[in-house]
Amino acid sequence: MSSDASLDGTASETPKQRSVRSGHSKLAAADRRFGLLLAIPATFIVLLLVGGPSLQTIVYSFEKVSFIGPTPFVGLDNYVRLLNSDEFKDSFRITTVYAAGFVLISTSLGLAFALLLNERFRGRGIARTLLIIPWAAPWLMVGIMWKWFIDADVGMFNGLLYQFGLIHDYVPFLANPSGALIVTIVAAAWRQASLSGLLFLAALQTIPPDLPEAATVDGASTLQRFRYVTLPWMRPVLMVVLVTNVIFGFLQFDVIYAMTQGGPGNSTTLLSILLYRQIFQFSNVGIGSAIAVVLGLVAFTVGLVFVKFLYRSESVYGRAVE
Amino acid sequence: MTSAAQVRPPLPGTRRRSGLSRRGVLRSVVIYVSFAVFAAWVVLPLWFTAMSAISQPAEMVARPPHWIPLRPTLENFEAVFGTASKARNSSDQNARILLSLSWSLIIGVSVAVLNLLIGGLAAYGYSRFRFPGSRSGYVFLLVSRVVPAIAIITPFFIAFRVTGLINTPFALIFSYFLFTLPLSIWLLRSYFDALSPEIEEAAMVDGASRLRILWIIVAPLAAPGLIATGLLVFLEAWSEFFYANVLTSQLTVPPLLASYNSLQTFSWNTLAAATVLSLIPPVLIAVIFQRYVVSGLSHGALK
Repeated sequence: MSSDASLDGTASETPKQRSVRSGHSKLAAADRRFGLLLAIPATFIVLLLVGGPSLQTIVYSFEKVSFIGPTPFVGLDNYVRLLNSDEFKDSFRITTVYAAGFVLISTSLGLAFALLLNERFRGRGIARTLLIIPWAAPWLMVGIMWKWFIDADVGMFNGLLYQFGLIHDYVPFLANPSGALIVTIVAAAWRQASLSGLLFLAALQTIPPDLPEAATVDGASTLQRFRYVTLPWMRPVLMVVLVTNVIFGFLQFDVIYAMTQGGPGNSTTLLSILLYRQIFQFSNVGIGSAIAVVLGLVAFTVGLVFVKFLYRSESVYGRAVE
Repeated sequence: MTSAAQVRPPLPGTRRRSGLSRRGVLRSVVIYVSFAVFAAWVVLPLWFTAMSAISQPAEMVARPPHWIPLRPTLENFEAVFGTASKARNSSDQNARILLSLSWSLIIGVSVAVLNLLIGGLAAYGYSRFRFPGSRSGYVFLLVSRVVPAIAIITPFFIAFRVTGLINTPFALIFSYFLFTLPLSIWLLRSYFDALSPEIEEAAMVDGASRLRILWIIVAPLAAPGLIATGLLVFLEAWSEFFYANVLTSQLTVPPLLASYNSLQTFSWNTLAAATVLSLIPPVLIAVIFQRYVVSGLSHGALK
């Protein structure tokens, strides 16, 4: 690669000569051009290839589409059919319950883990390594592990309850509608609590040590320290974690797919599962796309709260990664 | 009540010195009990999977359960690799795991490299230069993160089918690259922002070209950020299931495991062996590169 390659087309001139000759304005113009050249490829790739399919999906949601043949425009027909279908209404309710449980468990456990791992004790290093492991496990594998972990024939969870005398016979948790919902929530929260914990812990470690110390000297109890020092410091992170968890909860697919495929009955049929079935099992692309738009709107609304928050806050907060 | 008051030393500063005070003991008990609960929560599902992978199916139904198999075996791994002599779980699905592991690796690395190259350039552009549209372009990238990948799969499915790219690694490299690119730009930019531009300005005065500065000076200084971003993107690609399931026939590990999971001919023990194999790479990466990964996660979320 030629080392002096310059993208701004003025390679014959060194920046020094340029700034000597025409001052900063020309240099600033070259800077602008260079910045633009760097940013354009990635930005246009995302604009075209995420923006395009998003618009296309919205268009599909107003059409009667199967994978073959013409796609007549049907207006709001798909949405009307969705709103009149009990399956969709049930699914929306189940998804909301699922997301709420998921957010509650993964956020509170994550906070508890972070507070624990922020204390000094022997074994803390090992504990911090343990914290990262569930996060490293892919969602689908989390679902597979938990499906068998709570299985009624071979599952260790049943074995544990049995050994402690809590049950006399193994319980098929996934065979029961509310049991299946709870277990799939817990399984997904197993991974997400770990991510939440990592983020909370990183934030806890940025608290200046003299802050809690000063509060102690002023006579604050442990609870008061938590309430008036730790919690206000954590509020921005808490916001980020909550938004991330809400979005992950609403979009969960893999764990359900591995554990119940939406069953028993429709008891764990989240909107994502409904979308998958409509599009890829029944080839109802129009209806499936309408569900996709609903999912997108939920994520967008939650995300908007986050972007607003992002620009309001002094420091910059972003959406966590998966 | 009274005894607690007696134990409490007169000055807050002296409390720490009395290591065996009742308060200190209580604190230790609370911490170690919580630690045990935390460790059990994390480890039990993993322990169960690992032990199942080296157990014989007959041993799984023992009550009370065997927490460690009495007669450990490697048969399950042999079955997964398709080298089992008796072929207890004989199925044409056997021996596909190595192929899928390789494809997952190739796809993950390709997506990470693409992100660092194209995302890195864009992140540097947004970090250092103000140009027409720099603000709106960046806000657009942020907003695009909100679009759920799962919601817009149909256009990708149709486009890949029309172009014949369906069921090829390119389909996955392409779509994973798209969905991780905004994240990489966001992450890398936060790392670039933290670097002082003074060295770059000095190099400019010395006559180095901007691209050369980026390659020779900025990239090494931002190495932790590049490593963190590359690892996070790799793990994301390694984990992805929905697109891999729809766009390919079990090319990568997650859809292959999902197919094992739904096959009646596959025992849980064989599936557990396959699960262990496919958990080892991401868990090793996360543990070994813990510092980078956690830094990347908190840059993504908090910076």
